[in-house]
Amino acid sequence: MARMKFYCDPERCIECNACVTACKNENEVPWGVNRRRVVTIKDGDPGERSLSVACMHCSDAPCATVCPVDCFYTTQDGVVLHDKDICIGCGYCFYACPFGAPQFPEDGAFATRGKMDKCTFCAGGPEADHSADEHRKYGSNRLAEGKLPLCAEMCSTKALLAGDADVISDVYRKRIINRGAAVLARGVSFQDASFRAPSNLGGKSSSQE
Amino acid sequence: MRTPAHHKTVPHALGVFGIYLLGLCLLLFSTLVDAQEKQPKELPTVQMMNPAAEFWRDVRQRSAPVSGKTQVGGVETGVLINATGDRWRQFRMSQLIPISGYILGGMVILLVAFYAIRGRVPIEGGMSEHKLPRYTGYERMIHWFMASIFIFLAVTGLILLFGRPLLIPVLGKEGFSILASASKEGHNLMGPLFLLALVMIIIQFVRRNIYQKGDLSWLIRGGGIIGKKHVPSNFFNMGEKTMFWLLVFVGGLIGVSGLILVFPVLGLGREIMALAHVGHAIGAILMITVIIGHIYIGTVGMEGAIEGMKTGYCDLNWAKEHHDLWASKAEENGEALSNQEVAKMRGDRGSVPPVHSGLQESGK
Repeated sequence: MARMKFYCDPERCIECNACVTACKNENEVPWGVNRRRVVTIKDGDPGERSLSVACMHCSDAPCATVCPVDCFYTTQDGVVLHDKDICIGCGYCFYACPFGAPQFPEDGAFATRGKMDKCTFCAGGPEADHSADEHRKYGSNRLAEGKLPLCAEMCSTKALLAGDADVISDVYRKRIINRGAAVLARGVSFQDASFRAPSNLGGKSSSQE
Repeated sequence: MRTPAHHKTVPHALGVFGIYLLGLCLLLFSTLVDAQEKQPKELPTVQMMNPAAEFWRDVRQRSAPVSGKTQVGGVETGVLINATGDRWRQFRMSQLIPISGYILGGMVILLVAFYAIRGRVPIEGGMSEHKLPRYTGYERMIHWFMASIFIFLAVTGLILLFGRPLLIPVLGKEGFSILASASKEGHNLMGPLFLLALVMIIIQFVRRNIYQKGDLSWLIRGGGIIGKKHVPSNFFNMGEKTMFWLLVFVGGLIGVSGLILVFPVLGLGREIMALAHVGHAIGAILMITVIIGHIYIGTVGMEGAIEGMKTGYCDLNWAKEHHDLWASKAEENGEALSNQEVAKMRGDRGSVPPVHSGLQESGK
C-alpha cells in the first residue's frame, strides 16, 4: 500500500509560489486561507533557502490526537483528512499542528471561526468522489482520478515532490548522492565528493591565452 | 584463611594503582608538551557549520525563533515549524484531561464521603420565629445570573473536554458533533456575559469580602468543619471571602483568556492562544471544583444556607450560628422581622394577600 507524502527540496525551490496559486485555484480554497505557502529563510542573506509547506500528512497526526470531536481520519493512501460535517471549528488542531496546516476560515460566531480548512493532498473528503458536496467543502479529488496533487505536479523545478513515500524518498536520495557531500558538509570539495566519474579535464580551458 | 590473603592484596593493589596514576600523569604531561609544540604550526581553527544542517536547525527553531518571509498573509505564516504545538498537545492529552478528571471526580467522592460522615449540618437552635434580611433583590438577581452562566459554561466546557473519551462511545461521532458544536457556539456566545456578571458581582460584594480580624481564627479552626462548634464570622466568613477573591482573580483569568480564544482574528499567534487555553482550562477546573463545594453547602450540606439567596431573608438562629458578628449587630439595629411579616412582604402564603410594598427589592 502506497503511503502518500510531500517532500520539498530546499536546494531546488525558487520561491515562485506556483504551488500556492495552483492549490488555491484547483481547490477553490476559502477566503483568507492558503493551504500551501512558500517560506523563505534568511531572505537576502547567504544560505537563503525556500520551502513550500502544507499539511505533511503525518503518520501519527497531532491534529487527530487533540480533536475533541475526533473528526480526522487517515485514508488507505496515508492521507490525513477531516470531516467538515463533524468539525466544530474549535481550533485545537491549529494549536497542535507543527506546520500550520489547519486554519480558521472567517465564519461562524463573531465571524471568526468556521469549520477548519486544511490541505487534502487533492484527495477530497469523506463524501462520494467528485460529488458536488465534496467539491464545495474540500475542493478537487485528483487522487480518485489517479492524479497526484497539483502543487507538486506543476512545480517547475521539481522541488516539490508528492506521491508514494518510497518513490519520492528514492528520488531525493539520488539527488543527494549526485550533489555529493558538498552541500551537506562544507570543507569537502565538490569534485572530491562527487560520485560522478571524473571527466579528465585537467589542464583544459576555453581560452589558451 | 581469607583475612591474611586479603591483607596481602591491599598493598599490592595500591602499588598497581600508583603505577597507573604515574602513567596517567606522564601521558597528560606528554600531551601538554605535544600541544605546546604543535600549536604554532597549525592554522587557526574556524568553526565550520554544515549549511544544510544549519538550515534545518533554523526551520526547526532549535536555537532561536526564526521567522521566514512568505507571500502568504495571515498569522505566523512565516513560521515553518510551530515548536510549541507539541508541548500543548502533551499538556492537553496526558495532563489536562486525566488530571482534571481525577480532581473533579475526587471532589465529588470527597463530598459524598463528607456527607456520609458528617451529614447535613443542622440549625442547632432550630428554625426561629424571626428572620433577618440578608440579600436584596438585585444581589440575588446578579448571583443567579452569574450562577446560571457559570453552570452553563462549566457544562459546555466539560462536554468539549471530556466528550471524546466519554460521550462519543455513547452518542456516536455524528451525534456528539451536534452536541459539541452547540456547546462550542453556546460557550463562545455566553462567555463574554460571564465577565459582565463578574463585574456586577465585584461591585456589589467587594466591601463585605475584605478580610477582617476574625478571619484568621476562622481559618485556624477550619471553619468549623471539624467538631461541632461554630466559628463566629461577619457577613461573609473566611471561606466565602476566599471564594469571592478566587472568583475575582481566577474568574478574571478565565474571562480574559476566553476572549483571546474566542477571537483568533486578533492575530495573537498560536503560542499565546495555546497559553490562554492552558490558563483557561486550569482556572476553570479550579473554579468548578470550588463551586461544587459551594453548591454542596448551599443545597444538601447545610440547613438554612440557601434561604438568604432564595428568599432574601435568612433564619435568625442560622445567622447567629454562622455569621454571629453580623447577626447580633443586625438584631441590635432591629432588623429582625417575624416570619409572618416576611411572609406578608413576600406574598408567598396563600392566606395572606401579596403586598407590593417594594420592601423586598430594597431588602429592608
